[in-house]
Amino acid sequence: KKYLDIVPDNVAVIENAFKLRTEAEKYLFTCYSYLPKNGDGWFNAGLMSGDEMWLPQSDQAHWHPAFRIAQGQQNKDRPLFNEWGGDLKGGDGRFNYLVMFRGIRHCNIFLENIKDQTKVPDLSLSERERWIGEVEFLKAYYHYYLLRMYGPIPIVDKNVPESSAPEDLYYKRMPVDECVNYISALLDDAIAKLPPRIVDENKELGRTTQVIALAVKAKLWLMAASPLFNGNSDFAGFRDKEGIALFNPTVDQTKWEKARDAAKAAIDAAEANGNSLYTYRNDVFNLSNETKTQLNIRNAVTDRWGTEVVWGLSNSYFVNEALCMPPLVRGSNTDRFQLQGVWAAPIKIAKMFYSKNGVPIDEDKTLDFTNYMQTRAAVTSEQFYIEPNFVTARLNYDREPRFYADLGFDGGRWYMKDGTTTGSDVNGMYVQMKNAQTAGFGHFTNWNETGYFIKKLVHWESTTNSNNAPTWKSYPWPEIRLADLYLMYAEALNEVEPASPMAISYLDRIRTRAGLKGVVESWSNFSRNPGKYGSQDGLRSIIHRERLIELAFEGQRFWDLRRWKQSGEELNKDITGFSILGKTTEAYNIERTIFNQTFIAPRDYFWPIGNYETRRNPKLVENPGW
Amino acid sequence: AKAQQVTIQGVVQDTVGGIPGATVIVKGGGQGTNTDNLGRYKFKAAANATLTYSAIGYKPKQVLLSNYKADAAGIIKIDVSLEVNTTSLEEVAVTGFGNTQKKASLVSSITTVSVKDLKTPSSNLTNALAGRVAGIIAFQGSGEPGLGTDNSTFYIRGLSTFGSGKQDPLILIDGIESSSTDMARLQPDDISDFSVLKDAAAASIYGARGANGVVLINTKMGKDAAPQFNFRVENRMSRNTRDYEFADNITYMNMSNEAVLTRNPNGVEPYSQNKINSTRAGEDPYLYPNNNWIQKLIKDYTINQGYNLNISGGSNRARYYIAGTYNKDNGILKVEPINDFNTNISLKNYSLRSNVDFNVSKSTVLIVRMYGQFDDYQGPIGGFNESGARISGGEQTFRNALNANPVMFPAVYPASKLPFIEHPLFGSAQTRNSDLSLSSTMYINPYAEMVKGYQVYKTSNLQPQLELKQNLDGITPGLTARAMGYLRRVSFYRVNRSYVPFFYSAIINPQDQSYSLQPLNDGSANSLQPVGREFLDFNQDAKEIDSRFWLEGAVNYNRTFKKKHTVSGMLVSYMSSYENANASSLIQSLPARNAGVSGRFSYGYDDRYLAEFNFGYNGSERFDRRNRWGFFPSIGVGYRISQEKFFKPLRDIVSNLKFRATYGLVGNDAIGNVNERFFYMSNVNLNDAGFGATFGRNDGTAVYNRNGVSISRYANSNITWERSKQINLGMDLSIANAFDLIVDAYKQERSNILQPISNIDNAAGLMAVPFSNFGKVSAKGVDLSGSYRANISKDFSINARGTFTYATTRIERIDELPYSSDLAYLSRKGYSINQTWGYVAERLFADDEEVANSPVQFGNTNLRAGDIKYRDINKDGIINSDDQVAIGYPTQPEIIYGFGSSFYYKNIDFSFYFQGASRFSFFINSAQIQPFYQSGGYQTGLLQAVANDYWSETNPNLYAFWPRLSTYRIDNNNQLSTWWMRNGSFLRLKNLEFGYTFNNLKKVKMQHARLYFSATNLFIVSGFKMWDAEMRGNGLGYPLQSLYNLGVQVSF
Repeated sequence: KKYLDIVPDNVAVIENAFKLRTEAEKYLFTCYSYLPKNGDGWFNAGLMSGDEMWLPQSDQAHWHPAFRIAQGQQNKDRPLFNEWGGDLKGGDGRFNYLVMFRGIRHCNIFLENIKDQTKVPDLSLSERERWIGEVEFLKAYYHYYLLRMYGPIPIVDKNVPESSAPEDLYYKRMPVDECVNYISALLDDAIAKLPPRIVDENKELGRTTQVIALAVKAKLWLMAASPLFNGNSDFAGFRDKEGIALFNPTVDQTKWEKARDAAKAAIDAAEANGNSLYTYRNDVFNLSNETKTQLNIRNAVTDRWGTEVVWGLSNSYFVNEALCMPPLVRGSNTDRFQLQGVWAAPIKIAKMFYSKNGVPIDEDKTLDFTNYMQTRAAVTSEQFYIEPNFVTARLNYDREPRFYADLGFDGGRWYMKDGTTTGSDVNGMYVQMKNAQTAGFGHFTNWNETGYFIKKLVHWESTTNSNNAPTWKSYPWPEIRLADLYLMYAEALNEVEPASPMAISYLDRIRTRAGLKGVVESWSNFSRNPGKYGSQDGLRSIIHRERLIELAFEGQRFWDLRRWKQSGEELNKDITGFSILGKTTEAYNIERTIFNQTFIAPRDYFWPIGNYETRRNPKLVENPGW
Repeated sequence: AKAQQVTIQGVVQDTVGGIPGATVIVKGGGQGTNTDNLGRYKFKAAANATLTYSAIGYKPKQVLLSNYKADAAGIIKIDVSLEVNTTSLEEVAVTGFGNTQKKASLVSSITTVSVKDLKTPSSNLTNALAGRVAGIIAFQGSGEPGLGTDNSTFYIRGLSTFGSGKQDPLILIDGIESSSTDMARLQPDDISDFSVLKDAAAASIYGARGANGVVLINTKMGKDAAPQFNFRVENRMSRNTRDYEFADNITYMNMSNEAVLTRNPNGVEPYSQNKINSTRAGEDPYLYPNNNWIQKLIKDYTINQGYNLNISGGSNRARYYIAGTYNKDNGILKVEPINDFNTNISLKNYSLRSNVDFNVSKSTVLIVRMYGQFDDYQGPIGGFNESGARISGGEQTFRNALNANPVMFPAVYPASKLPFIEHPLFGSAQTRNSDLSLSSTMYINPYAEMVKGYQVYKTSNLQPQLELKQNLDGITPGLTARAMGYLRRVSFYRVNRSYVPFFYSAIINPQDQSYSLQPLNDGSANSLQPVGREFLDFNQDAKEIDSRFWLEGAVNYNRTFKKKHTVSGMLVSYMSSYENANASSLIQSLPARNAGVSGRFSYGYDDRYLAEFNFGYNGSERFDRRNRWGFFPSIGVGYRISQEKFFKPLRDIVSNLKFRATYGLVGNDAIGNVNERFFYMSNVNLNDAGFGATFGRNDGTAVYNRNGVSISRYANSNITWERSKQINLGMDLSIANAFDLIVDAYKQERSNILQPISNIDNAAGLMAVPFSNFGKVSAKGVDLSGSYRANISKDFSINARGTFTYATTRIERIDELPYSSDLAYLSRKGYSINQTWGYVAERLFADDEEVANSPVQFGNTNLRAGDIKYRDINKDGIINSDDQVAIGYPTQPEIIYGFGSSFYYKNIDFSFYFQGASRFSFFINSAQIQPFYQSGGYQTGLLQAVANDYWSETNPNLYAFWPRLSTYRIDNNNQLSTWWMRNGSFLRLKNLEFGYTFNNLKKVKMQHARLYFSATNLFIVSGFKMWDAEMRGNGLGYPLQSLYNLGVQVSF
């Protein structure tokens, strides 16, 4: 009978993972591997499912799951970007290995084993403590990530053995408040164990620190305090199968206080550990002030491990620069396979940016943007924004530096370090976007649908001006940066203390870096509503807009609009762009409707869990409306 | 002194007429012969010899030649009448582990197949099964010569499990576990017995491996006679039964223009009127190409050959049977001398068999069998289909023919155009975007694809086998023992060699309408990819090696007491081990092992009451220790009512009537896919790069990366065998020794089918779905075979045969979502395992307004009139996967039948055989044939069937075959639905044969020779005309072949 015993003894089993430190470290990294790959548009639901980015209707758009959500194709039959079941995500739309619940299970396995001091005997106590903190943070973050998408979620604090009967593996969704409290407490546990900052940066940068955990906690509470989660009456009747209400219908003002305190704690920790708003300093190319300001803005995101990065995803570098970058005039690479430039910003996003006076373009009493498609030629003084003598639309003139830093457009200058032989910004590269021009329509799959390219995400030191394939200077995706914390703090402050001057002062730090005057000065001098910042509502709308502008194209807008319950309004607007088929200035500069976006509120505020999941787990309730 | 030789001739007959295949042999070794189809024989023997006449089912008779006198010509005429052996039909069936059993005493359901029925003019034995063998459901999907490509798929009593493991029967050739390709390569000439074990009583001795039924084949052994040579040569003409048909290219271009405009009124027509007119006028074919790619690539017919030689003979000390086979099958692809290598398919297979047995001692026989089988294949390089599965070169060629634009370029430009260039000037053109701007790919040229290179594969299969039989009469009479062992080594490798074709497109000179050639991919500045290359490149492809080892030992006991009590017993124990060298993981590299003990005990009283008990006690390495061994018992009883005394008056009419019943259990250990072998162990990868992480500043100093952990299976010690519980009721009936009928009805219950557990909440976060032995399928059916034999006159006889197999399945238990009552129609429970779920297509949309007012279909918002309208089954206002219902019949035939007849008149014989299948549906792959759809360089051609009947704005037929044209995919129209469903039923003339036998061949020293013409697949009756219905949904593959065969068989 021994004849049939053919399996040798040393086949790997899970116990092997906790015998030695080197193996246990791999398990630690496994827990990390489930962090969202937000540096890849295919994996970043926030970036592609909303209204700040549009794709051409070529093949890809049909199977890009996140972008199909933007096109209103979400459904419960087979949910798109299905994190719950791990389906229709990323890659070619079929990647499913990053299933958040699996990440949580790994975290639990890791914690169970590593907390047992008889395991991994060669792991020191202090390192053990740190690892536990890191994995507690990850477990909390994965819960937070799901909470943001689905609303109430199951809390998987302990694993049920895989050999259990299926009934014992049924989880039920927990009320939002319980989820928030659970995640917050878990983050507190983690914060106590984590190092304040990374010491061995060459080996560990990207691993969790106290600052990161505090920042996530701030995000958690800001979300919990916001209207979508805080007393949302739309979901008042949403109960689980036992009749327990999953949303608390009463607004709880103390949540804003928690949000404020959490943001402040995060800011303090971040600043204490070396974070500051990024500014471009070592100028060796004699750049103009305009260009330097743009680099301040662009590099805040793209500078690798720049001073502003609170949490950079070392596992997910930004990989889509080719999708942002078009071929440029005076550049020598015209290959649309290499410089695709398909990521396009709708005109409404372009309109969102302030005028050069730092106020919304429809509030600016000195500048008239009514006929924003009207064209004129650029003058030399605008040369670091627009190619001189180029005729382009009103919308592209007299805008704040963030407009020029973030967007490429027909006639817009696009500073790259290799744009001129000397690195100078004089006479550099710029965009020509009319039909059949270098960056214009004509290639069979790669074209830009609106006329606005996402310059912000392209690293200024990437080399594209050559006949060779471009070399992309990629960067760890900045999941949280200091500006975000400032804006979070300001937002929470204004809710606790209406029209808080402190809130304004944090906004002004960001505005200054962006080359704008402070809120008070800008509104007082240029706005038709000069006292706007004086009221809670007024300041709230200023903070919201500042946030949307500052964090544009970083995948935050999608979540912020939801949190504020503004998606119902914003995502029901048309997606428009320039008439990209136009070959002349006249034909091109006409606003064209690309897509009638629809958002069905309140249904679309949360993902559908899907028929498959709700049918197989009798305890699971579907989100309302689905 | 040498005795005088005389010629003896005559007829061996029974009360009905001549007995075909009766044996006449000189007693004590030496010459012998068999009777022909009319019972006639002729041979030479010593004048003083004693002849033994025998035939299965008859009592043998001996004749002393010295009692006869030769006539004037020196010929002795002896007509012999044999008496039917009514008390025991001596015909035997092979029953497993080297045993045979008299058919009369069988209680289990075993189909024995006459070797003659397997002789079809195909070099693939599996294609002879459908309709010939009661109880086998078989169908053929492709006619392409190659490794398994033209094999029929076959199941014993239908497919009866939906598990992902082994589903097809166990095939044992001389006890050697073999693949269906091994069986395909077997020559009918070499087969002595062919049995199909269908029920539990027959198969339970194969315990863990017999649940899907067993095919037992034994090859011939030598006879105690002078050497006899048999030589058969066949020359076969092979042609496609049916090609798919293209519409003409004027229609192609017009409809192509229409396809653009009908979806987008502002679209640009791809073909100018000028081009259409010039093509119609038949102007220069290089400027206005007008290709029918099928005609360009596919020949009308091809010629194949088969040779088979066997020699048998022996003495009373040793006997031998030696056979050699050479078959050459060619593909139907055109080859022009554009290369010096041949890219048509050429499959040569050689085999050599040597079966020798020695009397080592008086009571001991040693059998040595050596078999080697070798394939040499050359053919076009295959590719991969949409789902990434490998497809063979022939199929790829047929697919390319449909996926190539017919009017943009010719296959090849004349070499004279560019006299200094040596490579062929293949035609192609740069593809265009929808606005007709040039894009950066080239159209694929199916001709260039076919001839650019070739694939070679070779297989070797060597199997030496040793068997020892010991008679133990010395211990107690009737006791024997045997031991058998074999090794089987199979190797396979494949290499590809190809160049990259250079493509050219024609540029018209407007002055004189002449043209010059522009290279498209010559590597210059504007060259397209891939750049051409004249010399061959080489790439290694798959290499596979596996080995199997088998050892068995058995004790048999067989004795009749007091002439009435027949007792037999068998105990066998065996062990086997299988490994293959291509494992991709440690777990897969471990040998697959089985071991076990099996037994059979039977008792018969007076050949009237029969009882049998069988068991298999088997172990498999796949399962946890607790579940490793399985016990599979079965019992059977039989009652030959025709042996009863009271039946005697009827016996002249009903010569045999037997009722049988069996009940038992058989198992299947080959469950789950090959990577899922050790269910009791977890499968953990502690070094998986897909789950690692990277940290570090990444500014010149190396980052810190570690791989992570993944789990692809959780340990589950409960997983065990698939079990099949089977009941079989049978009846054997013979009327007047002329009409035979065997009917079996069965019911099976397959339980413990391995399934992934579907209702585990994702929130549990399991990395792998656990499995359980959950599924249960019941199957039932009937299989019957009948035959009739009549001798009309002394020179003329007829026989007729038919089989009928009906097999259905029903899913009794399946792990699926717990559907609520309003969704109950989604449940597979209660349906056949081959049932398809799909949408109910009502008709095409009448107008755009109807589209707007109908439920949204699959989230598509851009549907138009002429697109398919589906039924909203659950009336929720949207069409999605909840609207799928069971549609059509199962996708595998539930009924397979066949019938035919043979006629013998003097030396002429004629036979035909029809074969049919019914109760199955198949689905046209509409995406695959969507005309004008372009993907890279591939652009789908226009089938005549589409051109004949499609929705258009001028002819808005709501029930047209093809919906509104489009140049891009309309997913809505490509759903699995009743729109594309077709009834698969067909009846075909499977075989036709006409032969002439020469008997008087003394001068050339032959015993006899037969010249014959045979044909297969001559015509098919089916409601489906686009391609051969037997190919079902795979109509764009390599068609089935009609064969016209001229053969000669000589014995000397």
